[in-house]
Amino acid sequence: MSLLLEVNRLKKYFSTASGMLHAVDDVSFKVERGKTLGVVGESGCGKSTLGRVVLHLLPATSGQIIFNGKDISNPSPASLHELRRNMQMVFQDPFSSLNPRQSVSEIIGEPLLIYKICKTKKEYQERVIDLMKTVGLDSRYENTYPHELDGGRRQRIGIGRALALNPEFIVCDEPVSALDVSIQAQILNLMQDLQDARGLTYIFITHNLSVVKHISDDIMVMYLGEMVEKTNTKELFSTQLHPYSKALLSAIPRAKLDLKRNHILLRGELSSPIEPPDACRFAPRCNYCEDICTSRRPSLEEVIPGHFVACHLVREINGL
Amino acid sequence: MQMNHELLKITDLEVFYTVDDDLVRAVNKVSLTLRDKETLGLVGETGAGKTTLALSILGIVPNPPGKIVAGSVEYQGVDLTKLSDKQLRRYRGKEIAMIFQDPMTSLNPVLTVGEQISEVIKLHNKISLFEASSRAKEMLELVGIQSSRYGDYPHEFSGGMKQRVIIAIALACNPQLLIADEPTTALDVTIQMQVLDLMNKLKTERGSAMLLITHDLGVVAEVCDSVAIMYAGEIVERGSLRDVFEGESHPYKLGLFNSLPDVDSDTERLESIAGLAPNPTKLPDGCKFHPRCKYCTEVCMAKNPELIERETGHFIKCWNIQPVKRGKTV
Repeated sequence: MSLLLEVNRLKKYFSTASGMLHAVDDVSFKVERGKTLGVVGESGCGKSTLGRVVLHLLPATSGQIIFNGKDISNPSPASLHELRRNMQMVFQDPFSSLNPRQSVSEIIGEPLLIYKICKTKKEYQERVIDLMKTVGLDSRYENTYPHELDGGRRQRIGIGRALALNPEFIVCDEPVSALDVSIQAQILNLMQDLQDARGLTYIFITHNLSVVKHISDDIMVMYLGEMVEKTNTKELFSTQLHPYSKALLSAIPRAKLDLKRNHILLRGELSSPIEPPDACRFAPRCNYCEDICTSRRPSLEEVIPGHFVACHLVREINGL
Repeated sequence: MQMNHELLKITDLEVFYTVDDDLVRAVNKVSLTLRDKETLGLVGETGAGKTTLALSILGIVPNPPGKIVAGSVEYQGVDLTKLSDKQLRRYRGKEIAMIFQDPMTSLNPVLTVGEQISEVIKLHNKISLFEASSRAKEMLELVGIQSSRYGDYPHEFSGGMKQRVIIAIALACNPQLLIADEPTTALDVTIQMQVLDLMNKLKTERGSAMLLITHDLGVVAEVCDSVAIMYAGEIVERGSLRDVFEGESHPYKLGLFNSLPDVDSDTERLESIAGLAPNPTKLPDGCKFHPRCKYCTEVCMAKNPELIERETGHFIKCWNIQPVKRGKTV
């Protein structure tokens, strides 16, 4: 397996009236070609910002992004234009991420025009129809507008647009969270089929843990801008080591009877990401919190081979 | 009061919307009963008519375009659909309270949360403003918010806290029946767990019944005693939690369960339901689910099946009832 993406100590701070907002703070990870990295966390944990910074939709504050062996941390406008061909995004809300004044074929075909991919009009039309077929849109929708279609079909348009340039890498930001379960399953299956057929690499951002388990190879759990735990999917769902991941996974409502439900209830809510203190950011809600947690920020450690956790007390809590 | 006393009885309720010249049958001959202290989960996808059904219980379906065309909603023996607005006001908020889906938009942004809680208390009880506000403070503490935040405005609270305020408003007058429309959909899972836990606790303490509208079968399994599944304005299956989760099945319910990614097992591929929910103005003939159903036969296209009682209390509306719920093919 070859490495497609490597992110080192990536930071994204936003300047606000009351101070610096640490949206993504010192996050490092690697994604192998053809694999899916799931990024989970609750609203405000910085997962969407992370996806955007990786794609240079937002400039990073500091840190390094290596894509296909090339450092793309500070791309020139021309090289960024080239990069976009290879890295695309599927957005969360299929209602607001499509231009209401463009028809389905115009939306899907726009990247082809920008990159001057097609030589003739006929070739262009064929490519568009081909793309529509790939994502399961009937060609009779060619001239319809997004508002005439339901959420599932609209999300297919978004995926079609992302695929138009034949990218290697797609960041999917909550692509199914606005959809009903029966439609959600259709889109997830489509995305998996596309990955198998084209060898795509995904970063899959979601708050839905059942979805992320279903689609990811590796999972990274974020809390308030920081990565608190990262390991492969199987390991994470069998042995969570960070207290936040434990609580998060225990809180998934399971559609089953006679389960022993050991919900770990957390106290309170997210603290402020603006000028956070030098401490564990989860400490105010943590059931295991001790003095060290409020006085020093924990660093990410490889506790078990391949299993990274940022917690001072990880060994005590898990009896390692 | 005995447990199996019928608190709410909906019989053959029909609610239609007239949009332009089209008729939308949002709720189509729906019958439901809710007993004292029971929690009924009403499950269905977008546009199935769940919210319209809930609104029609309180007589707050927007009219026009909506209208209760036929049927009755009996609450403790009184048909609410026959009452005037003035008479209904005695029930709304006091006997039957509603928790709306979106905590961001269902609070008034220019009133403090305290004022919004005391408003409902004062409306239904002959007490002074001072008494009402001290009751409101108690309610805040009850839902886990410090009473010192009485004078804060909604925008100063997070989503989970706002939903707690809404729960406080709903429970302020000790309602017998609580209607909760997707109360946790807009919340994160750990906050959702806190809110569900709180609702469960308060409901048990106060002995009220609840109609919980949701699209999340996981939430249903956590909190409900019985379940009704809606599709295109009709109830296609209802019964106890165990009947619906483990008994015979309507193909739509089977599809819903199979499309859920399961965190406890490794399914390679999800079994989705083919197609889309029907256009509500042009519902198909026969069974409303037949164009998406893989067990569809000729009779399904011609005739709409009745909701029949397969076992005591377990109703299914289908010509080709499926034997087990989880028919997952590997």
